[in-house]
Amino acid sequence: MTQPPVIEVNGLMRSYGGGRTLLGREKPVIHAINDVSFQIAEGETLGLVGESGSGKSTTGRAVLHLERPDAGSVRFRGTELSTLGQQGLKPYRKHMQMIFQDPYSALNPRMKVGRFVGEPLVVHGVDSGSSLQDRVAELFKLVGLDPSFMSRYPHEFSGGQRQRINIARAIALQPGFIVADEPITALDVSIQAQIVNLFQDLQDQLGLAYLFIAHDLSMVRYLCQRVAVMLRGRIVEMAPTEQIFADPRHPYTRSLLAAIPVPDPDRVRPDRPPFDVAANVPPREAPLIEVSPDHFVLDHQVQ
Amino acid sequence: MTHFLKDLSRSRAGLFGFVLLVVIVALALLAPLLDLPDPTRGDLRARLAGPTWQGLFSPGAHPLGTDEVGRDILSRLIHGSRMTLMVASTAVVLGGIVGTVLGILAGYKGGFIDRLLMRLVDIQLAIPLMLLALLVVAALGPSIRNVVLVLALTSWIRYARIIRAQVLSLREREFVQSARAIGASTARIMFLHILPNVLTPALVVGTLELARVIIMDAALSFLGLGVQPPTPSWGRMLADGRVYLSSAWWTVTFPGLAIVLTVLSVNLFGDWLRDYFDPKTRSAK
Ligand SMILES: Nc1ncnc2c1ncn2[C@@H]1O[C@H](COP(=O)(O)OP(=O)(O)OP(=O)(O)O)[C@@H](O)[C@H]1O
Ligand SMILES: [Mg+2]
Repeated sequence: MTQPPVIEVNGLMRSYGGGRTLLGREKPVIHAINDVSFQIAEGETLGLVGESGSGKSTTGRAVLHLERPDAGSVRFRGTELSTLGQQGLKPYRKHMQMIFQDPYSALNPRMKVGRFVGEPLVVHGVDSGSSLQDRVAELFKLVGLDPSFMSRYPHEFSGGQRQRINIARAIALQPGFIVADEPITALDVSIQAQIVNLFQDLQDQLGLAYLFIAHDLSMVRYLCQRVAVMLRGRIVEMAPTEQIFADPRHPYTRSLLAAIPVPDPDRVRPDRPPFDVAANVPPREAPLIEVSPDHFVLDHQVQ
Repeated sequence: MTHFLKDLSRSRAGLFGFVLLVVIVALALLAPLLDLPDPTRGDLRARLAGPTWQGLFSPGAHPLGTDEVGRDILSRLIHGSRMTLMVASTAVVLGGIVGTVLGILAGYKGGFIDRLLMRLVDIQLAIPLMLLALLVVAALGPSIRNVVLVLALTSWIRYARIIRAQVLSLREREFVQSARAIGASTARIMFLHILPNVLTPALVVGTLELARVIIMDAALSFLGLGVQPPTPSWGRMLADGRVYLSSAWWTVTFPGLAIVLTVLSVNLFGDWLRDYFDPKTRSAK
């Protein structure tokens, strides 16, 4: 890595709950993410994989400062975001975007999709009037949508089309970094490949870096240069994609790999007991150690 | 406009409500131009005359009868609708604007503003509305402006509570987060992303409120706190006529009927309007 990373995350923490209820009972504290650290280079894709509730979305939101992390640092192209106020963050919002998990609730049902896609340009005063219309039409074409759809409302679109609309909005300001939160999970299998290809094409054309969130490893294989595996709010293993597939070190990573459907029925998979998440809560203080170049595993489970 | 009428003609109930409402409003607006007897001048020789079709087009006819001082009921109904409709619609729109804005503010911002506003609502809900209205009108004196203010005051909390609840769930929707992600200001999010999504519930509350406010306005007049005599209003007519209910049924039946029909037309039309403004049902038809 000669270039500085586009995103550099260090020791990110975020917990929910705490405090007391009206009756004075203590609410349990959920450590949604705990000591999360990673870097993403310009134009790179880092996959973030883990089961439901492991803190992937929380990580995405905290990195973009959509909600403030409790502790830790996030640097965008060298600038520390955590010390900036809402106003201070605004110029950086141009360069970092998010694509949400549910394409249905991600669109404003009462806003025509053309206006929705063009909104970032209006908010940042980049474009207006007829040049805005032209730019939005261009964005529609870029994501494979007919520009004549601009004056329609979201409910007229399928899941795949909605996700394209979300993508068009996210790239409107030509960001350098996008958090894609399970962008294909909610879609039909037949559509998933198309959207993955769209992500790839846009990355080639625009030089985007992605934090690509998914809940199983098969989805990230072809899109990501590196993969981080998350368990109960902690990254337990992080390595280049081939390395994860060839030499998984953490038992949870292995169980995720074993869960990938095998297309070849002749290939026999070794039987191993299912991974018990409850019995393997990663300890809070355990450090990540580098077992081979660029391959990190949480200390408690190195094998 | 043509789309509006086309869509409307497809809904029987909506069309009925709309036509009825147009007739009521047109009568109210055109009242001075109609050749009606003076609604404030009585004719003591014709006190409590019953409804009659005889001599309908002759000058002295009283098709819906007369009241206890011989004033023509039809004329009083039509002239009275001006006051009733103006007071009720102003109050509902005023309460609707205030309630919707405060509901959005409380729901989206949360925290101190939310707690303050919701306590205010709770306090107001704990006091019977009629008592509140009586207190305020008694304190400020009975005038049309004060009646409008009082009715709006009883109305805003209904909007605010429902809108706030809507906003609480909208706030968590991903398109609102997405608006934050692009750096949209709080004002922009509240008015461009939240507001259009609560207009439908606001409209529904509005039609219900219009009906309620018409009745409450009648009740205030009935108690002598609304429109002052001799200006006609539906509530006044009910109040004055109730004494004669057993002997001259027409004195209360017709104003009562006018209230019912107006409320009905507003509700039917409001139902249709709600569907019309929902982009989903609009194109599904
Ligand atoms: N706003 C919130 N309030 C309270 N708890 C929350 C909130 N958001 C997330 N959590 C909790 O934090 C933990 C991590 O949630 P998160 O949404 O980040 O998981 P995830 O990995 O994205 O899961 P999924 O695959 O289901 O999207 C969960 O236990 C969740 O219940
Ligand atoms: Mg999630």
